[in-house]
Amino acid sequence: MLSCKEVAQRASAMIDGELGAWDTLQMRMHLAMCKGCERFIGQVRVTRDLTKAAGEAEDLHDVDDLRISAILSQLHDGKQQGG
Amino acid sequence: MRGETGQGMGDEAELVRKLAAGDRAAFEAVYRKHNAAMVRFATGIVKSRATAEEVTQDAWVSVLKSIGGFEGRSSLAGWMFTIVLNKARTRAGRDGRAVSFDGAGEDDNLAAAFDGRGRWKDMPELWEEITAERIIAGRSVLQHVNAAIETLPPAQRSVLVLRGQQGLDAAEVCAMLGITEGNMRVLLHRARLAVRGALDALA
Repeated sequence: MLSCKEVAQRASAMIDGELGAWDTLQMRMHLAMCKGCERFIGQVRVTRDLTKAAGEAEDLHDVDDLRISAILSQLHDGKQQGG
Repeated sequence: MRGETGQGMGDEAELVRKLAAGDRAAFEAVYRKHNAAMVRFATGIVKSRATAEEVTQDAWVSVLKSIGGFEGRSSLAGWMFTIVLNKARTRAGRDGRAVSFDGAGEDDNLAAAFDGRGRWKDMPELWEEITAERIIAGRSVLQHVNAAIETLPPAQRSVLVLRGQQGLDAAEVCAMLGITEGNMRVLLHRARLAVRGALDALA
């Protein structure tokens, strides 16, 4: 029987679907009996999903417009110098 | 759908063609999708946000200048983040710092959570209040997540941004950072535990 500490160590591998059949069975047996670990796995799953959501396209601000223009102008300058 | 699907690759080829043609709207979309993550990634390497912003700006110029040479051997995002990595590494080297992503000395934050028999000392909370839409202490939960990522040590931060946010292929992340897949999994887990700790403090 896995300890709670061992379950916590395998939490990411479990939610990412990277555990083998034996480890998955051991985890399920523990989770069926342990509310603390069930909650912890839920927290790690929420953390994974919120991390992904936090990395999705962010709103652009005025400063980004200036930076985009600066990047594109450097490119045009380079082409003019090169050509 | 993931980037490696046939449909995704077709979309990516079209995007590359537009970028090479100097299409501003296409560039704005790519910039919007990746710039903040690139700055977060670079800050872990060069140690200053202002320097990371300079490095990222410089990397975008290189991306557009060399997009014609992109051959699709990696994903477009992987190729662009490699350019950011190389620029940041050069800058760190110039400042006298070597960059390594093996994560040596970086530990997880759960060591004190268990008793001698490996059982929880305190039952983990139910996170009913932690949702993407919530504003807590003047910031959205998603802003709290990004703030927590910015406190991570470089190896954990790099893996979480590249794998956990940008969705790069595991092999691509390992090749880029020069780490094994096992090491990457440990770093990803530790990074998630750190962000989980920050979210738990809001619950």
